[in-house]
Amino acid sequence: MNQKDIHSPGLRAVVLAVVVAFIILAVLYISDWLAAQDTGQLETKEKAQWSGSQISPLHRIPLMDEFNEKIIPTAPQALPFSTRYSCAPCHSYETISRGTHFNFRERPKIDRVSEPWLLVDEKVGIQLPVSFQSYPGFWSPEKLGITGWQFVNLFGRNLNGGGPGEPAENELTPDSRWRVSGYLEINCLGCHNHSLLQDHSEWVKQVMRQNFRWAATAASGLGEVSGMASRLPSTWDLQDGPNPDDHEWAIVPEVKYNLNLFDARNNAVLDLPHQPEDSRCLACHSVTPRKEKTKAALDGDVHTASGLKCVDCHRNDISHQMIRGFEGEILTNPRLKAEDFTCAGCHLGKNPEKGGQGFAGRLGAPRPAHRGFPKVHFERLACTVCHSGPLPEKKPERVFTSRANRLGVFGKALWTSDYPLVIEPVYVKGKDEKIYPQRMMWPAFWAEKKGEELVPLDGQAVFGLAPEIFQVKEKVSALISRLQPLADEGFSAAVIVSEFLYLPNVDGSLDVLKPEKLIKVEKNSFSLVQIKGEEIKPLLPSFDPEKAEPDIEDKIMNSLEGLKPVSDGREPVFVVDKVLYRVKEGVLEKVEKSGEPARFPQIGWLKDETSEKLLSDFELRTLSRLGDGVETLTEEQVALVLKKLSGSDSQKEFVYVASGMMFSLDSKGSLRASEHPLARAVSWPLAHNVRPAQQSLGKNGCQDCHSPESRVFFGRIEAESPLKTELKESRLRTDFMRTGRFFQLIFGFTFWIRPVFKLVLAACVSVIGLLLVLVLARVLGRASGMSENKDKQESGR
Amino acid sequence: MVFGIISILCILLVSLRLTFGRYVSRLSEGRRGISAENIRAYAGWIYRWKISFLKNERWTKSFAYFFNWAQKNYPGWQVWVFYFMGVSYFYLAFSGFFFSWFVSRGLYGFPLLLHVACGAFFALSLTAVAFLKARFYLPGNIKSETNSQTSGGFYCLLLKRSFPRIYLQVVAFWLFILAGFFLILSTLGSMLPYFNYPAQTLFFNLHRWSALVSVVSAILGIDSIID
Repeated sequence: MNQKDIHSPGLRAVVLAVVVAFIILAVLYISDWLAAQDTGQLETKEKAQWSGSQISPLHRIPLMDEFNEKIIPTAPQALPFSTRYSCAPCHSYETISRGTHFNFRERPKIDRVSEPWLLVDEKVGIQLPVSFQSYPGFWSPEKLGITGWQFVNLFGRNLNGGGPGEPAENELTPDSRWRVSGYLEINCLGCHNHSLLQDHSEWVKQVMRQNFRWAATAASGLGEVSGMASRLPSTWDLQDGPNPDDHEWAIVPEVKYNLNLFDARNNAVLDLPHQPEDSRCLACHSVTPRKEKTKAALDGDVHTASGLKCVDCHRNDISHQMIRGFEGEILTNPRLKAEDFTCAGCHLGKNPEKGGQGFAGRLGAPRPAHRGFPKVHFERLACTVCHSGPLPEKKPERVFTSRANRLGVFGKALWTSDYPLVIEPVYVKGKDEKIYPQRMMWPAFWAEKKGEELVPLDGQAVFGLAPEIFQVKEKVSALISRLQPLADEGFSAAVIVSEFLYLPNVDGSLDVLKPEKLIKVEKNSFSLVQIKGEEIKPLLPSFDPEKAEPDIEDKIMNSLEGLKPVSDGREPVFVVDKVLYRVKEGVLEKVEKSGEPARFPQIGWLKDETSEKLLSDFELRTLSRLGDGVETLTEEQVALVLKKLSGSDSQKEFVYVASGMMFSLDSKGSLRASEHPLARAVSWPLAHNVRPAQQSLGKNGCQDCHSPESRVFFGRIEAESPLKTELKESRLRTDFMRTGRFFQLIFGFTFWIRPVFKLVLAACVSVIGLLLVLVLARVLGRASGMSENKDKQESGR
Repeated sequence: MVFGIISILCILLVSLRLTFGRYVSRLSEGRRGISAENIRAYAGWIYRWKISFLKNERWTKSFAYFFNWAQKNYPGWQVWVFYFMGVSYFYLAFSGFFFSWFVSRGLYGFPLLLHVACGAFFALSLTAVAFLKARFYLPGNIKSETNSQTSGGFYCLLLKRSFPRIYLQVVAFWLFILAGFFLILSTLGSMLPYFNYPAQTLFFNLHRWSALVSVVSAILGIDSIID
């Protein structure tokens, strides 16, 4: 290149343009960077300190995805929003992630026991308390071999995200599919979104589909999410995008944002009050007595009825360390300055510092008089004993809790589960020697016994070993439902065993009815019937086989054909009089029955040219024993499963824990029950619903609790478990309180004579008081000279 | 805690004062007073006295003295009232102070039930004793009773003179009655459905401090009846 070239006007213009462009870009970049820095400083400063305003701002914010890119809701294949990046510019995600609802692992060791997560496998009879708290009877996920991934899949429906939902790199396990599902970030909107569209059920649905990264978006109503991550191959990655070849099964989750919730600049417009609504809390924290058949029967908590919200007492700051409100919480929550939000904190208020009456508690909480209650009650009982939970009956009542029994999840099916079985109230003495009302459940699980240690077995593995033993109801349901062709129009096929009528249900199991009028059935027998409303009549038609109508024979053939798939290799037959119907090569065959003619029509299995019962003796015994109870296993089933387990590995000892006992096989193969520490009940304190003062224990006097017939002391607590057995832990309430049965009985009796005792004391105090007054009068009289000394008078004379 | 310390100190100091006074009153006029020599001698004297209770004979004599005194002062059926009061009071004081001093939870369980039951007997017998004996301990009647005092006296170290023991007995009697009155009142009050938590706390404290006064007065009373 020569000099002339360099100085050519064209080249100079190009160089100049490049330099100018570079300068412009540099200026733009620097100004953007400075602006960002400025904004950041401003936000940090603003959010680090409360502005003083008592209202929450309308959040008009850009939603960011998990790559911290702004979401354009109209963009195709827009990603779900990430709370970590959407909320974090103003609110410290790291700080919040250490809050009560997210940080289960690093809670103080002395933190008060809270409701465990309950691992349930109803079919196998498992209900096991799982918790990150180390209290007796609680199993840590690690001990049960539950990985973080499994934990989130099992209990994610009631997780608020964060914690186990966002495992560290070193916590990832081979079974996990976090890459596909995404992490379950803290669902800020789950509590704070004041929108009619916020939907807990949607959260549950998305979590169960393993759509973790999409769950918050779907639950908030900001977007609709389709597809299921659970069906995607484990190699799938977000970068892979949708699968154009599959529109039916393994559909990649996709968000369709609701554009009405975004402004023109693609910012989401959200109403996010700092105080969540009660319904948000109750989605996971409500408890309902099972006996109530309608929502209208519930009274709720007196505080709620008075207009308080959950968060009026259970407050938190940005740390999200919720105030739980129990006495002594100050020891575990250093942010608390005083026990303002305990019962006493609000209702007794502040002590007077400069005389006077002091001040009542917060929010106008009425100050209780507690007239006539000796001081010991306040030293030995938590306030909740008298004021919270249902009034004690002779037996505690079964309750559903949101987390345990899947309350608050709505869909076509009824989500509420019978298991686990939780009861309340049980009054239990705590380590601080105070008595607290608690909810209680008994662990039930299969285990290998290693010395004194019990190692729980995987429910699926136990089931896989003996499915036929566990699936009695399912099997009977399958058989009965195959007989539906025999039923008249509008009637349903059913079976009566013992005093119960069993009807196949949509879940493939049996519904149990106990009708008032029932066809009587002999022991170890059954009767096939058809039912419509209250009308019950025999299912099997009685007819003369010589004059059988084709319609009847069609029904018989359809039923016998239907039974074949569930026959376990046996041949279904229908017997009437001397005739035996069977299906051969698609044709109904009519042969002569050997032996005596049948007294009434039967359907069953062919055996030695005659009919064997449709239901086995084992099935009949099982159904008869289970009846309409909530239990799912009989002692016979447990013994059979234990034998199977022993057969699988004779070197090991297997047990089943339930009903507060440990069941094992003795040398003769019979079931025996013994005590074991890990079979004992686990309980956790209840605080709600708080009843009005007028309904508190003691309102009617001491004998609300102190009498020989006291429900508080002499109500009976019997272990509830999946096993139907008489060998169960059964204790008086007073045993859990450790107050002494005999003492409470005698003490209760004393209240019968207490009125006399009071009269005696009153009489004594009156007489002595009068004497003291007389003496005082006499002394004063002498001192004042109004009453002369006898001696003086005598000497004066 | 405060009550525990104060009550132990109080009972200990009153007992020491009475026994020391009793020891000093046996000395000649000139040797009476608080001195190192007297304290040493007192220590030996009280030690020997305590040791003497290791023998049954001492107990027998003491009980005989007590019963004689009771029968003399509470004629006929009245002595049974006095015995009732003595026995119930002994259990009340023992159970109350034992649990207060050594059991952080305080009195509870069956000992508490028995305490309450004894309380009823004590209240009745105390009332009866007050009714029967008040006239003998009235200010106007003391002088004539003084004459019946046979020997000894209550030596006041400050005033350096002896007083008739009946004075001590009168003070002890009325103090005992007054404390008993508050004991019964506080028990009754805490059982009536009219008093709130602060009142219950007041009753509780009134009960235990009255019990202390009562025990102190009982010690004074017992000292006053010993020649």
